[in-house]
Parts: sequence; C-alpha cells; structure tokens
Amino acid sequence: MREKHGSAKTRRFISNTVVHIVLAVLAFIWLFPILWVILTSFRAEPGSYVTTFFPKGYTFANYRKLFADTTVLNFPQMFMNTLIIAIFSCIISSFMVLSVSYCMSRLRFKFRKPFMNIAMILTLFPGFMSMIAVYYILKAIGLSEGAMIRVALVMVYSGGTGLGFYVAKGFFDTIPKALDEAAFLDGATKFQVFTRITMPLSKPIIVYTVLTSFMAPWTDFIFAKVICRAESQYFTVAIGLWRMLEREYINSWYTSFAAGAVLISIPIAIVFLATQKFYADGMSGAVKG
Amino acid sequence: MKKKVLALLMAAAMVVTMAGCGKDTPPAQGNGSTPANTNESTPADNQGGSEETKDVALTVWAPSEDQNDETGNWLKTMCEQFNAAHPEWNITFTYGVCAEGDAKATVTQDVEAAADVYMFANDNLTDLIASNGIAKLGGSTLEYVQNNMSQALVDSVTVDGSVYGVPFTTNTWFMYYNKSLLTEDDIKSLETMLEKGKVAFPLSNSWYIASFYVANGCSLFGDGNDEAAGIDFGGDKAVAVTNYLVDLAANPNFVNDGAGEGLAGMADGSVVAFFSGSWDYGNVVNAIGEENVGAAQLPTINIDGADKSLMSFFGSKAIGVNPNCDDMEVAVALAAYLGGEEAQKAHYDMRNILPTNTTVLADPAIASDIVAIASDECIANTSIMQPYCPAMNNYWTPAENFGKSIIAKEVTHDNAAEKTEMLNTSVNSSVVE
Repeated sequence: MREKHGSAKTRRFISNTVVHIVLAVLAFIWLFPILWVILTSFRAEPGSYVTTFFPKGYTFANYRKLFADTTVLNFPQMFMNTLIIAIFSCIISSFMVLSVSYCMSRLRFKFRKPFMNIAMILTLFPGFMSMIAVYYILKAIGLSEGAMIRVALVMVYSGGTGLGFYVAKGFFDTIPKALDEAAFLDGATKFQVFTRITMPLSKPIIVYTVLTSFMAPWTDFIFAKVICRAESQYFTVAIGLWRMLEREYINSWYTSFAAGAVLISIPIAIVFLATQKFYADGMSGAVKG
Repeated sequence: MKKKVLALLMAAAMVVTMAGCGKDTPPAQGNGSTPANTNESTPADNQGGSEETKDVALTVWAPSEDQNDETGNWLKTMCEQFNAAHPEWNITFTYGVCAEGDAKATVTQDVEAAADVYMFANDNLTDLIASNGIAKLGGSTLEYVQNNMSQALVDSVTVDGSVYGVPFTTNTWFMYYNKSLLTEDDIKSLETMLEKGKVAFPLSNSWYIASFYVANGCSLFGDGNDEAAGIDFGGDKAVAVTNYLVDLAANPNFVNDGAGEGLAGMADGSVVAFFSGSWDYGNVVNAIGEENVGAAQLPTINIDGADKSLMSFFGSKAIGVNPNCDDMEVAVALAAYLGGEEAQKAHYDMRNILPTNTTVLADPAIASDIVAIASDECIANTSIMQPYCPAMNNYWTPAENFGKSIIAKEVTHDNAAEKTEMLNTSVNSSVVE
C-alpha cells in the first residue's frame, strides 16, 4: 500500500519535472529575444554587431538619445503621433467590431449569411493589397496632406476592422439568448440590451478587441509609409524605427532602436495591465447553474 | 452553387483591388501645362526678368540630415539663399523628408503630389522616368552639369542621351584600414592583408560581391547600360572567381561583414580592414581614432597567378525636377543651385558630403580629405559605373543568395562550375516573366 502510494508520488514528480522542463525551455525560447532587445537597449557599446551576449557596459544614454537627439529622427513626435492615432483608432474600431459582432450574433436579416461569407473572403486578402487604392481615395477626399494625415491613418486602421467580427461574434453566441429575451420583456431596446446586458458579460472579448486595435497602429509600417510619404512630422514610430536601421544610421542608432522598441511596448503594456483584470471575471454572476 | 458564388466574389474582390493597384501606373494626367513628353525645360534667364515679383510655391524633398538644425540645416539655408538671389521670384518652400534611395518608391507612388525638386540615387532613374516623375534637363543647367563634372558622373544620370539630374555627390564603397596595423604596401593586395590580420568583406551583399567577378573580366551590360549585352558571369573566368571565393570564405582570417562585424572588429582591433563608404567615416574614427584611420582604393586579388584589382560599383546622388511642377523654370533653377558650386561647398562643410563639381573638388580642404581621396581614386581606378537599366533588377537577389551560399560552404570547388553557371542564368533571367 505504502509502496504504491510512493510510486504514484514518484510518477507525479517525474511528470511534473518533465512538464516544468518543457515549459522552462519554451519560456526561454520566447523570452530570449525580448531579453536580448532589453539588454541591447542598455548597451554602452555602439554598433549593430557585438561579440558578447551581455553588454560590456550599461547606460541610459540610448534612451536619452531618443528624446534628446530629435533633429534627424524626432522620436518623441513620432511617439505622440502614434499614441494619438492608436487611441482614436482603438475607440472607433472597438466600437465597430463589437457592434457588428452583436448584430451578426443577435439579429436575423436576409443578407446575414451572404454578408458573413463576403466578410470571411475579404479578410482573407492582406490589407496592404489595396494600399495604393486607399492612398488615392484618401487623396481624392483631401486627407493625404498636412494634419489630415493623422485622420487618414485613424480611418485606415479603424475602417476595415468591422470585418474582423468573427471572434467577438463567436463569444456573443455563447451568451444565452434567454437573457436578452428577459430584458426585451422588461421593455429594453436592442441597444439597451447590447450596452446593459451583452457588454458587461463580454469583458474578456472587449479587452481582446481593445488590445488588438490599440496595437495595430504601433506595429503597422506599410500603410503609415504609404500615407505619410515625405511628411516627416507625421511619421509613426514604425517608420522611425525602420529608418534607424538604414546604412547611414545603423551604427549610431542601433542601440537606440532597441530602446525605442522597448518604449513602444510600454503603452501597450499599460493598456493590458489596466484591462487584464476583466479577462477573468467575464461570466461570473450572470448565469448560475 | 455555393462554390460558384464564392468564386464570383473572389473574382470581384480581385478586380476591385487590381483596379486600385492599377491606378498608379498611368502617369499624371489633366495637368495641361506640362504634357508628358515635352517636358524639356530651361531655366529662366535670371538677369532678364525684372518685371514684377512672381509668387511661387515649391516643395523640396531631401534626407532628414540635410534638414538637421544642428548641422546648419543645409536645405533650408540653401533654399533661402536661392530665394534671396532671385528677387523676381517670391518663393514659399515646403520641405519634406525623403532619402535619396527612397525617391523611387515615394515619388512614383504619386507623381503629381510628389516634390517639385527632390534628390535621388541614380539607380532609381529608370523607374522615375517610367512613371514620368523626372524631367530632362536642358539649357544652362545641362551645360553646368556637362562642363563642371566628370564624364563618369554625367553618364550616371544620362538615359538615351538625355541628362536627368544634377549630380551632387558620388556613391561608392572603398576600403578602410587601420594604419597602425597595415602599411601602405600591405593594402595593395588582399592576400597580403589576409596574412597580416583579419579582413572583413560583405560577401553576402550583392552590391559588393560583384567586385570579384568584375575584377576577373566579367561584365554587366557591357560595362554600361546595354541591356542586350546582358550580365556575363559565365565561363572559366567566372568559375575561377568562384573558386577564389570558396578559398576566401575558408580562410580563417576572412570575416563576412553581414551585420556590422567589420566595424565592430575594427573597434576591438581584431579586424585590420573592412569595406564601406563615406557614410561610415565618422564611425571608423570613433572606433579606432582619427590618427589610425586609413582609406584607400580597392586592393588587388590574385586569381590564377595574376593580380587583378577589385572593381566596386559607383553611382551618384542627384537632384531631379518633377515634370508635373507648376513653375518649371524656378524648379530647374533651384535644382541647378542646389547642385551648384556654392551649395556643394556648403554641403561638404556641414555634412562632409563629397562634392562632384570639379572646382569644389580642387578646394584644398577637400583635396586633402582622406575620404575624398580614397573615394576619388576608387572611382577613377577601381570601379565601374553601376548599371541602372531595368534588367539590372534581376541581378541583386541571385547574387546575394550566391554570396550566402559561399559563406555557408554550399558552394565548393567540386560544384563551382555548375553553381556559377546557375548564377549566370539566374542573373540574366527575369523573375517576373
């Protein structure tokens, strides 16, 4: 009896060890590049190539340079541009995604099925296929120059997001219809059901939508490049970081490039930390049993 | 049924997006004042026009370093001087940022909305012409270019007999070495250098690797832009180079400079020489100290017992004028001014941009600049003009991959002939056919 108990314990110990080793290896693989970027951002030696993994000296100068040396590459301005664009496109596209998802999940109309198919097909095409067309459309309505570039970028990042409703719609489908019906009986309108019942129950998917739509402008390069063209005061961080790696800059800006990469993760991390507690308590309290 | 609908939708989506892409191909229309092919332009006779002041708006694009206030904002300074020198025009400038190598992408994206005057690298020229984004020069500007610059530079911006830009600097690569580790005799031959220490060379970069093949008699487009001649990387002469490169890659003193190993090696003393251009001078000074920096034309390599010099590509950066611009004469005059003597001198003083104007080059300060000397000697003795005909586009990727496979030791003495033949075929065939 005792022996049997012991062997079960050993078996559990062995399987736990194996699992932990596998997880440790995976964690190492995932975290290694991030660690490398962070180390590079504090590296004192300039240049893109070094012989050692750990820097020989540590410094804050790379970060300082990003904010002090703004004559050639104005990082603070690019950062602000991106932040403004990200905030607005986050608000607009979250609203659009959730609204479209709600309609697709709850409303029944004739074009629903074909529309979902069309949306499915359209999302299969990479967005940048249409970038030149998008540019000319924006130019035609006068959004391709000056301060309107920011508006144009917000439109580009939030305009097509309504098509990406599949994930959120799948989530809304899991919320029992009985809840909606109960509310309708109490005299609620469809919009009230959406805002008062569906939304509070869908926090995880709202967090997910907000995060993805906030991140898009930070990581997009190709649309920003096509729409900003030569107007450097509207460049976003992606363009700035790319330029730091051009042959004229790479040696002196490489470590600052890493610093910039670390910095752009901060707003995203803030949004994530602020919203992550909603990930967990989505359904609690709504439906019992 | 369902499938058919799906296919139809796909097709519709394709057509819509294709139409969108197609929109950038037809050159700017509806700009009646400057029809596509008659955009030969002559700057105004400055002395003559003394009537009233004409209001002109010009957009000028240059790299952001040229607009750096810390180094004197060359672009703005020059543009304002130009405005002051021309009382007959009241010019309002709008500045934009566009690196020379980027002109191809940024200008051709929307030629009508692009700058009136911009800077471009000469290998962008055929694309700019194809999209009607650049005007032929004529009159006094043409004369200025022809009379004040070397023939090689004029050729670098000439297509079918027409000159398209005012070259303001050269663009090539040469050798930097550590004077405390190598003597002037050592640097004449790559073999000697490899005996003395580690040498870094970007073998996996197609801009550099051609130098070995050209050294041994291979040619690209008849050493010009003769598309019919094609790229000749075939036969025994090319195989000999491939064999040389296989040995070079196996040499423990050879370092492939793929990601800054050359500069990093110079800094820690492990590398005695590496190959780069004028843009790296400041970095080399930081790495080994000004007194140790040596710069020189390319060394020779010994292939089958004969010493042959490496031959780099050289190109130029030039100032171009957009044919869709409203005030052609002002734009051309500005281009001529920005590429003129005074502006080139200022460009050198502010940013160490090597001039092209022969008078400025003779300036004692520039004539004794080691980078200027190395670059000039390199262009004169150890370089060929980088071809920029459209077929040249087929060269870059196969050559880069070939360099990588030499580094990876996939190319050996046994298969050198076969691999070289494959390289020759692929650089001569278009990927999109």
